[in-house]
Amino acid sequence: MVRFGIEFVPSEPYWKTTFYAIQAEKRGFDYLWITDHFNNRNVYVTLTAVALHTEKINLGPGVTNPYLINPVVTAQAVASLNEIATGRVILGIGAGDKTTLKSTGLEMHKPLTAVKECVEIVRRMMSEKNVTFEGNVFKTNNAKFFFKPATEIPIYVGAQGPKMLALAGRIGDGVLINAGHPKDVDYAVNRVKKGIQQAGKRLTDVDIAAYTSFSVHEDMEKAAQAAVPVVAYVVAGSPDVVLQRHGVDEGKAEKISGALKAGKWGAAFGLVSSRMIEAFSVCGTPDMCIERIAELLKSGISQFVVGSPIGTNVRKSIDLISDRIIPHFEK
Amino acid sequence: MLRKAIVMDYHRIVEMVPSGKREKLSTKLIDLILKSKNADKMPSSLARALLHQWQRSPLTNEIGITTLLEAAVILESEKTIEALEEKLQLPDVAKAIRAVE
Repeated sequence: MVRFGIEFVPSEPYWKTTFYAIQAEKRGFDYLWITDHFNNRNVYVTLTAVALHTEKINLGPGVTNPYLINPVVTAQAVASLNEIATGRVILGIGAGDKTTLKSTGLEMHKPLTAVKECVEIVRRMMSEKNVTFEGNVFKTNNAKFFFKPATEIPIYVGAQGPKMLALAGRIGDGVLINAGHPKDVDYAVNRVKKGIQQAGKRLTDVDIAAYTSFSVHEDMEKAAQAAVPVVAYVVAGSPDVVLQRHGVDEGKAEKISGALKAGKWGAAFGLVSSRMIEAFSVCGTPDMCIERIAELLKSGISQFVVGSPIGTNVRKSIDLISDRIIPHFEK
Repeated sequence: MLRKAIVMDYHRIVEMVPSGKREKLSTKLIDLILKSKNADKMPSSLARALLHQWQRSPLTNEIGITTLLEAAVILESEKTIEALEEKLQLPDVAKAIRAVE
């Protein structure tokens, strides 16, 4: 049975994110992912607030990156969070995004190696007394905690490209696939499965999640309208091969990217077509969303993550998902 | 002390709301608060109280509505009074809130 996760961007005061998180727990979501961008509220402060006000929902950063936060600090943060929400903490690690890293003066150096080494360091910090690690990107020298982590923490690897997807299958307890279209998810799951097989694991050992841009409303037009800003950013950041897969004009994508960089939001959003919305989001009425999720399930995903924008009104959208969508997959 | 006094005032106001209208009022206040552009004006102690109650109840009981009302008046004073008068048809409650303000 598929499980449902939800993503929140901590761009608003902590109490609003926590309010929605409590609602999500009450309404049957199993996983809560908080995005990690330095320009929003801090991910671990937000997660701490959520952990203190929830009881059951699994929660963690979705995703953090090893460049801006050193792996030992990530290990420390999740181990500490696990004292508040013991057994509920999950950790999403990805390579980050180039634009955000660039604004902090950091380069995305050897992303595959960085993610692989980060996962290894975090795991070893959780289970060993002293960690000495000689990697190509990271090194530790007798690093140790002065406290004992309570439990192991499942690590999800955020992935999009073919090599990262396979790596995620090999080393992750879970994989966060950044896509919502059956073509992309199908491709991604196949790459992940190869990685799982290479590692000699069973497919059921790894929780494969489709981490989608999602928008639901009883009125399809309103759902689509809410998805436009997020889709604009997804299109602007998508490699040509992905744009071609969906028949999206690369020139138009470049124009969107240029408009976003120039802060011309109206121009950027005005260029978003219905084809782009269909390709890069799960969007529409509850029945339309059910149909899309059912298609994604055929690829072999085990978790469906409802990501931004969720809908025009987050509170009502959570209720709508809980009342109309989740029960359909519990049958 | 001041907040305690305010809570007492709001609690008395909530008692004026007929039980049949409390759920609708709760939903309206939640939406006013969540949609507010003044979210940063929410006092941290009130935010903690609101989250504490939301975790434990659907915010339709007297304590929950009292907290919601206090928050809504801080974040969206005019819109709250307007909603009470026009959408919820509770002019006496709106008048009592103006007196507290």
